[in-house]
Amino acid sequence: MDISQLIPKPDQLQVGWGWFQALLTVTFLLHLIVMNLMLGGALISFFRHAGGAKSATNGLISKKLPLTIAFTVNFGVAPLLFLQVLYGHFMYASSVMMAVFWLGIVALLIIVYYSAYLYNMQYEATRGFHTLIAGFIAGGLLGIGFILTSNMSLMVNVESWPQYFDRPEGMILNLADPVLLPRYLHSVLGAVGVAGLAMGLWYDLKKRKGDKEAEEQIGSAMTWFTGATLLNFGVGTWYMGSLPVVVRGLPGINGALLVLCLLIGITCAIFALIKGFQLQVRTSAMYLFVCLAAMVLVREFVRRITLAPWFSTSDLEVVPQYSPLVAFLLVFAAGIVLVGYMIQLVLCDREVGQ
Amino acid sequence: MNYPVWLLDAFGGGTLIAIVAVAHVYISHLAVGGGLFLVLTEIKGLREGSTPILDYVHKHTRFFLLLTMVFGGMSGVGIWFTIALLSPSGTSSLIHTFVFGWAIEWVFFVGEIVALVLYYYNFNKISSRSHLILGWIYFGCAWLSLFIINGVIDFMLTPGSWIENGNFWSGFFNETFWPALFFRTFLCLMIAGLFGFLTSVNIKNDDLRHNMVRYCGIWLVVPLLLLLASAYWYKIALPPAQQEMVFVTAPGYKPMLTWFAYLSPLLFAGGLIMAIVRPQSVVRPVAWLLVVCGFLYMGCFEFIREGGRRPYIIWDHMYSTSILKSELSDYQKNGFLKSARWVKNKELTLDNRMAAGKEMYTLLCLPCHSEGGVLNDILPQAEKYTVEGMDSFLAGVGDANKYMPPFAGNEEERRVLAEYLTTTLTPDRSRIIGEIKKEKVAHGPFDQNKDEYVLLASTDRGMSLSSQPELSGLDFSYGPPTLRAQLIYREESPSVISEGVKLRYAVSTGSGVIKGLMTEGDGYFQAELGKLTPPSDLFRPYNLADIEAVIDSKVVATTRVRVGVSNGFGCRHCHGGPWRSEDSGLSRQTAQNILRIHDRRSGTSLLDTFNNSKIVVCSSCHADSSRKEAGRPEQLGLSSAMHGFHAAMLGETTTSSCSLCHGVGQESHTRSFDGLHNHLAGLDCSSCHGTLAEHGASLLKAEGKSGGELLLAQLSAKVESGLGDVKPRRAWEMEPDCLTCHVEFGEPETDSAFNSWTESRDKLFAHRKGEAAVLLCTSCHGAPHSLYPAASAHSDQVGVLAPLQYQASSYPIGADKRCDVCHTEEMEDEIHHPGSLGEFRNRVE
Repeated sequence: MDISQLIPKPDQLQVGWGWFQALLTVTFLLHLIVMNLMLGGALISFFRHAGGAKSATNGLISKKLPLTIAFTVNFGVAPLLFLQVLYGHFMYASSVMMAVFWLGIVALLIIVYYSAYLYNMQYEATRGFHTLIAGFIAGGLLGIGFILTSNMSLMVNVESWPQYFDRPEGMILNLADPVLLPRYLHSVLGAVGVAGLAMGLWYDLKKRKGDKEAEEQIGSAMTWFTGATLLNFGVGTWYMGSLPVVVRGLPGINGALLVLCLLIGITCAIFALIKGFQLQVRTSAMYLFVCLAAMVLVREFVRRITLAPWFSTSDLEVVPQYSPLVAFLLVFAAGIVLVGYMIQLVLCDREVGQ
Repeated sequence: MNYPVWLLDAFGGGTLIAIVAVAHVYISHLAVGGGLFLVLTEIKGLREGSTPILDYVHKHTRFFLLLTMVFGGMSGVGIWFTIALLSPSGTSSLIHTFVFGWAIEWVFFVGEIVALVLYYYNFNKISSRSHLILGWIYFGCAWLSLFIINGVIDFMLTPGSWIENGNFWSGFFNETFWPALFFRTFLCLMIAGLFGFLTSVNIKNDDLRHNMVRYCGIWLVVPLLLLLASAYWYKIALPPAQQEMVFVTAPGYKPMLTWFAYLSPLLFAGGLIMAIVRPQSVVRPVAWLLVVCGFLYMGCFEFIREGGRRPYIIWDHMYSTSILKSELSDYQKNGFLKSARWVKNKELTLDNRMAAGKEMYTLLCLPCHSEGGVLNDILPQAEKYTVEGMDSFLAGVGDANKYMPPFAGNEEERRVLAEYLTTTLTPDRSRIIGEIKKEKVAHGPFDQNKDEYVLLASTDRGMSLSSQPELSGLDFSYGPPTLRAQLIYREESPSVISEGVKLRYAVSTGSGVIKGLMTEGDGYFQAELGKLTPPSDLFRPYNLADIEAVIDSKVVATTRVRVGVSNGFGCRHCHGGPWRSEDSGLSRQTAQNILRIHDRRSGTSLLDTFNNSKIVVCSSCHADSSRKEAGRPEQLGLSSAMHGFHAAMLGETTTSSCSLCHGVGQESHTRSFDGLHNHLAGLDCSSCHGTLAEHGASLLKAEGKSGGELLLAQLSAKVESGLGDVKPRRAWEMEPDCLTCHVEFGEPETDSAFNSWTESRDKLFAHRKGEAAVLLCTSCHGAPHSLYPAASAHSDQVGVLAPLQYQASSYPIGADKRCDVCHTEEMEDEIHHPGSLGEFRNRVE
């Protein structure tokens, strides 16, 4: 079978693909950060409950978890939209192949989200079940993550698409792909690390506001960060090694940019780790942010190189219509102002109230 | 056909999207209307200085947040996922067309979440003014989300000038944008009132509870009135084609329209009486009942709206099969298998027909149909068809069945899909008609040397069909054929005897023997065989009539003639049910299915009549001149209605559709079109009657009734060159004129007699006489459709009884210079018609 015949014909773009690539990268970075807080927070919470750890950190996570779910989903909408604009013809096909799991994300998400609110609003009343609830939430989120990773992997793994003809019921997970597991574990460990560092930042803020107990919590939080990040160096290496030969060959400009971003990412991760061990939370966070941004770009270049035999975003036909883009940019700017206004309104009002 | 199809079996046919969409849409409308409800209720509490009301708002906000932000938000993602799985092409088109619209909507979504979270978590923590500002911002963002999504949703129904210019704004601000926006806004407010009931009935203080229930009732009733007004605006804003689809064409949506109509007053009354007049009567179950009614109301509306864009996903642009309208002709020309991407069998071979059929079924049928599910189940629909019926149906989809897209493949692929649907997906209903056992039929006696008389007989109709109403319960049988006979006295110049002679006839039928004396006509004797029924013992598509000429009590001549009548109506090919018996005959089950469709499409209640064991007689409403029934003046004639309606339904390119219904082809036991023209290469039904669409159009044009205009419009789409040149004709009275081809009775100058109708009844072949105005054409040539030499599948003799009797050949009487049948000396002049002294041209073995 000529596999290339299976690749759907893409739709036209209204503006050059670079716009969408930029929007995809930026919004995905936002999504990734909040997602890491959500997933890492849930996992840390579970392990803390399971390990019998008792401190305000558990309550802190229970309070923030529903919000992180809300914003993870919300910030996930935009990159998914821009991903569909550029790579929809790959992603729709892979989604259909794993439709049952893909749609299962929504059901899982609703259950996990309500569980998070139960954990949040009934924290005291459910004291005896915290490990169970946190475990359920973490397990659900891990499941969702795995399905998402599987889809992102299947969409670029065009050679595996013909299995649809034998299994058209939407039950295909791309388990045979050697990249899948290390890629997934890399993300999960990354999430734990980011969430740990975020907790460190929270307690660092508390400490600067005079909370004396925060110092101890910073150490605990940063242990999560450093531990997970150290492990992630190993998993990351496994991930790199599992990538297709064509990607490891680092061809062309994409390959060069991939190497550049990877080097920046690894370097920043090392610095973040060092600063993490030194409990210099904010500096560590700054390095980690750059590391995440670089790794998001690495991810994009890996995708571009993997799909290169079949497709390049520059192949997409453009029928220019710029007025909708202008309208979006205006609304986007207004949206940022509005959110800023709302936060300021609340903060000012609270200060006045106090 | 860009993408693979997810095999959903019972959950297909829209079931999945219906579940996800209606649930989400209900809550997402609450998310908009509820925002305003929160703010205004908080203002009410502040104005009245009522802490309990403010507490109620706080509690209601928690309920609202958990419902809208969790379930509403996540199911919104669910809808996106679901449509992308069920229609990737449609979703891709919407995403690419409105990407920045969606992006704008995302910004409002962010605003909504931030505002709602801050609103909820800052009750009693910030000033009332700031709190209200947050509430207003939430409502503004939520309503603007609706504003954006409304544009995209209605774009799918009415894309307007976007079809031509592809402009974002043309598509967004489409023809139904504003009425839909108002409609949905009022719906949002109404739903806010409904959900207000759910929380307000839990208030413990009686006065406050009644106060809040009444308040919620106003939220329900006032928007509902405005919603109904905007619904009317919405309806009239729909272009005629979409209006027709919703309110006329799509039969599956009539229950939804009915439910919508019933639920409106129910909700109004519920809101009015229970909330405003008697708020104390509103208890928890009542509140839940109203919420459920609202859910059904929403569901009905969404179903109706979705139905309006059938057979498209994006009206006039992309079919529900995800094939672009602009690409359809390529699919039909190049073949579906070659054009679609996700097929394994790119070529049809003898070995892969059913595998390829299944692939076509998956890609072309399953986007809309479920397999064994609740919605749009294909199984009960397909199992009614035979292969031939399905093939014809597939050839006609998109014309009369406007809610289905045209078949996107070539003829062979269509046949393969038909085979798959009717022999593999569902039990095979096609009966292979085996070799028909021929019977030997004796002709009448004749002694060339001794007999003084020749008795020639025929009927005015060669292939009459009977629906056997007493058995089937449905009567659309043709009018009875007329038996005609001419007694000729043999001499040098023979004469037709009409005085001093009596002609007796006897016909053995399925319900006994019909016999009597023939009455005198214009140079012939005749008998209308009013009670003729098909034979009931052994299946055969004819009866035998024996005629005797009696002069002075002495039988001077006898003859036997075939009276073609069969119960071979092929309705079961498409309407389901078994044959009545012996591979032929209309069963009561088939009749019932037909009447069910008639009732559904035409608003009649014929099935009740049928179920009361009464016979439904079609010609009591639809005039039928073959039965001399006037029908109702406002209704189309039976022939026009039958052909006009079915021509739009069925295939056009071959005569198989004619054959299926009239039982004339190899797939039928009847095979009553067995005359000369059936054997001649290049001739088929359409040679004289036109294609099915042309045939229907010629009849409809003569009607000049509104129903006819509608059908004509459907038919015109089937004929590339249009139907403008088709000349009107009245059924049974104006038929193709033989002399169109046989100019001056000579060899045919063309092979099409279509569109050249006989001017009046007496010019019909069945009533016409030769140039000498003595002999009926049918006396020498046989009945229409059974012209000598007719070759019946049921008997070697029955189609040519008279020629065998008088000249021991199968050719028309007098052919091959057999003037001696009647004339006692050789003739030199062609007095009957030019060419009558020639050798018969179309020899048979």
